[in-house]
Amino acid sequence: MQENYDLTLRIKRYNPEEKRSWMQEYRLPAGRILRFTDVLRKINDEIDPTLAWNSSCEHAQCGTCSVQVNGKPLLACELLVENAVAQFGTTTFTIKPIPIAPLVRDLIVDLEKAYARVESVKPYIITPAENRNKGGEYQIPPQVMDQYVEATRCINCFCCATACISSHKNFLGPNAILASVVRLMDPREQAREERLKLLYSERGVYRCHTSKACSFVCPKEIDVAHFIALAKEGRFKR
Amino acid sequence: MKEKFRIGSTQYCDVLVIGAGGAGLRCAAEVFQRKPGAHVVAVTKVAHPQKSHTTTAQGGLAAVDPKDPIDKPIYHMFDTWKGSDCMADQNILQKVIDAAWEEIIWLENRGMHLSRDVDGKLGKRTFGGHTVNFGEASAFRAVYEADRTGKGIIDTLWGEALREGIVFMNQGMATELLFSKGRCVGAVIFRQKEGEFVAVLAKATVLSMGGCGQVFRVTTNCRQNTGDYLVLALEAGLPVMDPEAVQFHPTGIVGPGILASETLRSVGGILRNKDLDAFMVRYAPKMKDLAPRDLVSRAIETEIREGRGILNPDHKIEHVWIDLRHLPDHVHDVQIPEVASFFRKFVNINPKKELCPIRPSNHYHMGGIPTDEFGRVEKGPGEFIPGLFAVGECAAASLHGFNRLGTNSLLELITMGKFAGEKAVELLGEKPEEMPADAGERTFAQFSGFLGTAGKASLGEIRQTMQAVMTEKVGVFREAKGLQEAISKLEELRERTAEVTVSGKSLTMNQELIQCWELKNLLAVSMVIAQGALNRKDSRGGHFREDYPERHEEFNEHTLAYMTEFGKVVFGKRPVDMSLFEAKGAHYEKFGMIERKY
Repeated sequence: MQENYDLTLRIKRYNPEEKRSWMQEYRLPAGRILRFTDVLRKINDEIDPTLAWNSSCEHAQCGTCSVQVNGKPLLACELLVENAVAQFGTTTFTIKPIPIAPLVRDLIVDLEKAYARVESVKPYIITPAENRNKGGEYQIPPQVMDQYVEATRCINCFCCATACISSHKNFLGPNAILASVVRLMDPREQAREERLKLLYSERGVYRCHTSKACSFVCPKEIDVAHFIALAKEGRFKR
Repeated sequence: MKEKFRIGSTQYCDVLVIGAGGAGLRCAAEVFQRKPGAHVVAVTKVAHPQKSHTTTAQGGLAAVDPKDPIDKPIYHMFDTWKGSDCMADQNILQKVIDAAWEEIIWLENRGMHLSRDVDGKLGKRTFGGHTVNFGEASAFRAVYEADRTGKGIIDTLWGEALREGIVFMNQGMATELLFSKGRCVGAVIFRQKEGEFVAVLAKATVLSMGGCGQVFRVTTNCRQNTGDYLVLALEAGLPVMDPEAVQFHPTGIVGPGILASETLRSVGGILRNKDLDAFMVRYAPKMKDLAPRDLVSRAIETEIREGRGILNPDHKIEHVWIDLRHLPDHVHDVQIPEVASFFRKFVNINPKKELCPIRPSNHYHMGGIPTDEFGRVEKGPGEFIPGLFAVGECAAASLHGFNRLGTNSLLELITMGKFAGEKAVELLGEKPEEMPADAGERTFAQFSGFLGTAGKASLGEIRQTMQAVMTEKVGVFREAKGLQEAISKLEELRERTAEVTVSGKSLTMNQELIQCWELKNLLAVSMVIAQGALNRKDSRGGHFREDYPERHEEFNEHTLAYMTEFGKVVFGKRPVDMSLFEAKGAHYEKFGMIERKY
């Protein structure tokens, strides 16, 4: 285990004024326990202040810093230098933006546009079911909640949507389906018809080809494919 | 070049919410509930509201269930009063805490996935500083969604906002508040993706802009928390209240300062020093590891200063341990999965088998823009700015005084957000104001200044120096000499920013340019915090003066700080509301200037 590594980062740049893309190489030493977001910041502070990249919480809770490193979609804040070297077997990394939304500059994409698919499934309670505990909370037995609570951990980082082998133009996408499934399994939601209509529509689950790439790359380790499989086996058609 | 600096377009709306986190979106939801179809615009600095910093809050939401056989709201009020080091405003305590349970149910009924007990009802957990019977025993008062309560709140509120037809402006920054005839009429917003300035005029403007943790080197706060709200207020001639009231969370993960929630201690985690001593019993004999945050932070810093810390070889930072090894698997896997994973992912250690390195990390700003119990912004005590509200961390109503208890922040978002929404709706009948003639002038002067300077100074180096000096001299322990040195250093750094060159001249997603603007804000915020700390010659809550370690009667009022010119701070005071004490009702004596021991 080394204390420092000499990294070579090949980063895909994009200039929106000239609509020009190019690969730019940066070489720098980085401590073993730095996150890739720390490394990008180091590049800004010491080499190139113009390199643009997005992040917010920088500890894997918000899903803002998703990028592709050597082809794998992941959260830049979760990738430690020493783990990257061990996992990818190299100190040379190619970093590109995720392809699921229009490019803004360099590694920044317009996440707002990517969210359109999630928002189309209405990630909220459309029609509240009857609450027998009037004035209080709905009573949800823990065994019922356990069936879907994992799916509520999704932070919409779009790593699954990036890895998905189906087109993101004609398919709702794995994270949008997850959001829909949460409310189909939530006993507080009464509106099922319109949810099922969208889930089994032309843009719905039949576009999934069961590659399970979504589950494989999910930084939250959610078995996304499991929930899509429930939908495909008709679990929600009551 | 010149035509970049103009207002590209003007929008009119009913309510402008700046900051789309928990407080802002709860306010918006209240507006929609009372006036369906209202035109609400919410601006956020982050890529999408779901990415707001609220999502990172872990532990829980405090509220007394009216059906609880033991707990009572007055105990919660007492705990918050004592926790605040007798600086919270008692009218705020009553209003927020009395409304708490109803607001929890509001969230749950709208789909928040709060964790359940075996009967399917809302689960409750203990948290630092929360007790029953005025300090007798820990209270099971906090509802929670595993260890991701903040995420549950923001997901629910974002969904509500979507359903009601809110308009979001993402990756937008408010650079200037607009006023006309003494009322706030909206703001100038810089849209980062589009690279243009727009004006949004509104009948009510709500500031819900979060915190300012990025002034410190080690903070739990996200990248966007650069205290912009304080500068918007100060530049408009408004005061900041209690700027020196900064909270350092005792358990930040060594290095990145990532929050390792108090939940770790509420499920039984124990703090240990170099000798594996469970040292908290010496500092807080009764509450021990669950004592309030400022106490635990000072305890840890003292252990380190007295040579009982451990030096981390990678970050060269001294720390203590939190011991989670004795906790059952169920606790690790179900109650603290996210937090436990932080140690695995960011330090490469297994909390089930190894000790976890932690150190106090900047976490929260109790100080902020002063308001009343409806979030209405004050220019001076009792003097309001019509049309302007502030809620959440960026405001100081004040619910938390000089130290915040865990689980009270999330509570503040969903109560104060709602109260401000109630009042904002009353302004919707107003005639829309005209745009002030000088709208944008200050913004354009600043931004063209950033693009026009030429020099060799490094933005990153200035920022790092500021963060280091704030952490060392305006941190957990403060004293006059160190504070004066910090103030001088900040003056020097401010001058050096005039020599930073921004190499890219485009306005479109120009992060260098944005960081220049943020650095200007960070330096101003640092200055007002350092000066506030120097001015307050006593110790309260998170503000500890080694040269004045006791509470002094002379300082039994809130600090107000005005700074229209960098470095020149004018101080005022705002009395602490003592209405619970003055009402002479049951237990009123508990709400006097009581001793603070745990």
